[in-house]
Amino acid sequence: MLSVLSYGRLVARAVIGGLSQTDSRDYSLVSASFGFGKDFRKGILKKGMCYGDDACFIARHRCADVLGVADGVGGWRDYGVDPSQFSGTLMRTCERLVKEGRFVPSNPVGILTTSYYELLQNKVPLLGSSTACIVVLDRQSHQLHTANLGDSGFLVVRGGEVVHRSDEQQHYFNTPFQLSIAPPEAEGSVLSDSPEAADSSSFDVQLGDIILTATDGLFDNMPDYMILQELKKLKNTNYESIQQTARSIAEQAHVLAYDPNYMSPFAQFACDNGLNVRGGKPDDITVLLSIVAEYTD
Amino acid sequence: MFPMLTLLSMFYYICLRRRSRSGTRSEALGSRRAVELGQRSALPVTVEVEQYGKEVLDFSSHYGSENSMSYTMWNLAGVPNVYPSSGDFTQTAVFRTYGSWWEQCTSSAQRFRRTPPSFHSQDYLELAFEEPVYPTAVEVLETYHPGAVIKILACSLNPFSQNPPVDVRWEVLWAGKPNKALTPQARQFSPSIKQINFATNLLRLEVNSSLLEYYTELDAVILRGVRERPILALYKIPVIDINDLSDSEEEISEAGGLCCRSGGENRHNLGNGYFDRLPYELIQLIVSHLPVPDLCRLAQSCKLFHKHCCDPLQYIQLSLQPYWARLTDASLSHLLSRCTLLQRLNMSWTGNRGAVTAAGFCSFMKACGVSLVCLELSCCHFLTEACLEVIAQTCPCLQELNLASCDRLQPQAFNHIVKLTNLRRLVLYRTKVEQSAILSILTFCPELKHLNLGSCVMIEDYDVVASMLSARCHSLRSLDLWRCRNLSEHGLAELVSGCRLLEELELGWCSTLQSSSGCFQHLARSLPRLRKLFLTANRTVCDSDLEELAANCSALEHLDILGTRMVSSASLRKLLQCCPQLKLLDVSFCSQVDSRLVQELSGLFPNVSIKKSFTQ
Repeated sequence: MLSVLSYGRLVARAVIGGLSQTDSRDYSLVSASFGFGKDFRKGILKKGMCYGDDACFIARHRCADVLGVADGVGGWRDYGVDPSQFSGTLMRTCERLVKEGRFVPSNPVGILTTSYYELLQNKVPLLGSSTACIVVLDRQSHQLHTANLGDSGFLVVRGGEVVHRSDEQQHYFNTPFQLSIAPPEAEGSVLSDSPEAADSSSFDVQLGDIILTATDGLFDNMPDYMILQELKKLKNTNYESIQQTARSIAEQAHVLAYDPNYMSPFAQFACDNGLNVRGGKPDDITVLLSIVAEYTD
Repeated sequence: MFPMLTLLSMFYYICLRRRSRSGTRSEALGSRRAVELGQRSALPVTVEVEQYGKEVLDFSSHYGSENSMSYTMWNLAGVPNVYPSSGDFTQTAVFRTYGSWWEQCTSSAQRFRRTPPSFHSQDYLELAFEEPVYPTAVEVLETYHPGAVIKILACSLNPFSQNPPVDVRWEVLWAGKPNKALTPQARQFSPSIKQINFATNLLRLEVNSSLLEYYTELDAVILRGVRERPILALYKIPVIDINDLSDSEEEISEAGGLCCRSGGENRHNLGNGYFDRLPYELIQLIVSHLPVPDLCRLAQSCKLFHKHCCDPLQYIQLSLQPYWARLTDASLSHLLSRCTLLQRLNMSWTGNRGAVTAAGFCSFMKACGVSLVCLELSCCHFLTEACLEVIAQTCPCLQELNLASCDRLQPQAFNHIVKLTNLRRLVLYRTKVEQSAILSILTFCPELKHLNLGSCVMIEDYDVVASMLSARCHSLRSLDLWRCRNLSEHGLAELVSGCRLLEELELGWCSTLQSSSGCFQHLARSLPRLRKLFLTANRTVCDSDLEELAANCSALEHLDILGTRMVSSASLRKLLQCCPQLKLLDVSFCSQVDSRLVQELSGLFPNVSIKKSFTQ
């Protein structure tokens, strides 16, 4: 009895769906993450969703799916500050903001701004800096809203081609835009960009679009065509396949990073700027892979 | 003939009654048997519903910022974020104060006489749940310094229903004494609660943190209950608790009403025993120890006590805060005739859900406010601009006004405070007062001694406010600028140059003050009488600041320097040596101060309570 009803509903929906132009189904992101910290001794997973000094989060809300990555700036280690504390707290705060609904899907920069403000409300004196990239899928409007500060970023792949990508924000070589909280004595000399400086963009997505959000550990070691090759192997939209693909991308980037003879995109860029180098770039690698699918509760 | 008839009819009537009575008795027996049988055969399975809080509707204070989710009261709704971990976490609900430190300050209100010993509540919060149930258990997940919850109440009103409130009742589910747990570790607090006969989805928690070592933090509240009224309740004989009676189920309005009628009912003129012989003043003294509901009840007993209990001299101080759940417009109008000499009135927390209206309050004020000196109206959500206008008109002698957490008052209402030129103490914590209003108030109230502008987010430029204080309010003793985000070193410098008598300065979370400008050292040099200084979460406080405080402020009693990385043990030692009156020192999250140092200093200076909070 029930199956007849549900079958009938499916048929009706298909017919209506085929007849009407607009798609009224809600979309969602099926996402998986994988990564490698630069320093193996710390272990691959620390405090969940942290890979070395990188951090990421995946959060669901009634009206949107939100992902984020943050790349902690490693230079703080020289001053006795753990760089993963800032990026990790930033991502966890963004996750909490999303879960409690304190955000507007069309304003991902607002998530960064509010999250940064909340970091300053912590009794614990947080120090450090990181890049940040936030991707929001608005379920109903089928729009993807993004905010990117720094050199992490995202790719949107449709039909085997990159249709959208983020731009890197750099002040100068190897110095990306970054959110930071500095000790008061160093306030003038530490690079600190406002969350409002993030690049934002909004565009439509379709069912089956693949969204890859990652830190520069991936993009500096793997050029687009290699990433696309890996993504071609993704056949299903279930979590296990996505997890498997994310893992294989991250693993490949990790191998390339330590290859001294490989002409990585990072090395290529350095050569273009007059520095004669070869090889990969050892760095923390974080990969968040998502597919746009229908929303199921 | 007629006697026969009446006898016969009586006999017939009695027989009829007896038959019907036995009939009903057997019927009753029969039905009872049926129910018992029913119970034995198939007990209806009552499904217990477990709910987390849906929304925090009201509260008296919190530690966090007004638009933040760190340490704010709204964190109590939803599933727990921290429990079972223990520690000082941002995701919990934290009240503004703890311990007795704030009560020790001169800026706190004087205690009101006649406060019943069973009322110890300092703060409250109201939490709404999705579905009304008959509660079987309430669990409070406390994740830091537990022991503050002293009362749990349930409301008969559903805050989410569209219907207008009708007969709002608050029932005490559990009440206890202020407590402190042995360790600051997290615990699940689940006192045994009373069964009530209405379904509720609105709980109120009242807390008292006076015995706690540090801020208490609450993570979540779980309400367990059943959807159907429990069967046992039908057969239960209501247990009348003597303690309940003294706290009184009766309305003060009822007592007031009865009061008017009982005056002429004194049949026995046996006199009132020895009370007739006692002088008037002595009976007044005896009666002055009774809490207000007992006073109203005593007034009903005889003419003599009626005269004494309605004497306006008994109502010079009146605290209605302990009776917030039962106070109505009717109660106020009954008290009207006795309160003509009223000087100190505490109506904080009253008017919950429409029980007291602005109109009722205004008429009470017009009748009784002429001699008012102190008016406590914290969390009075019925207040409107009209009420403040009436207060300003009828209370020219008003010296103390407390409007803390009256966050529904519109900004323009505060302009009326300008007319209260005798103000000595003004509390506007968490209100929407605007810059223009506060500047006018400061211009016309030069006698101000205590001013609280904590979390007043609508004031744009605190430097201008500081400048005005410096120019006009030279008698200022205490100033609370908690979380004022744009006070700079210029404003602070002006403030300390003009307000030389400052003893208490609360500058917690004022992030724009930089120690490198020398503002704290200047402050220390300018305020030799300083007794309380809070520089919570100002990450720039450094050794030189503490050294200046040690050199100049020997009267210092409370100091909070939470979260700075630039204070070392040497300057702390110097401070502790030079400030013999120091009682409270908060060095939480100061990275150079570890627990070993805290232990050592506590041993060397046993009179100082050194606080070091922890998180994970």
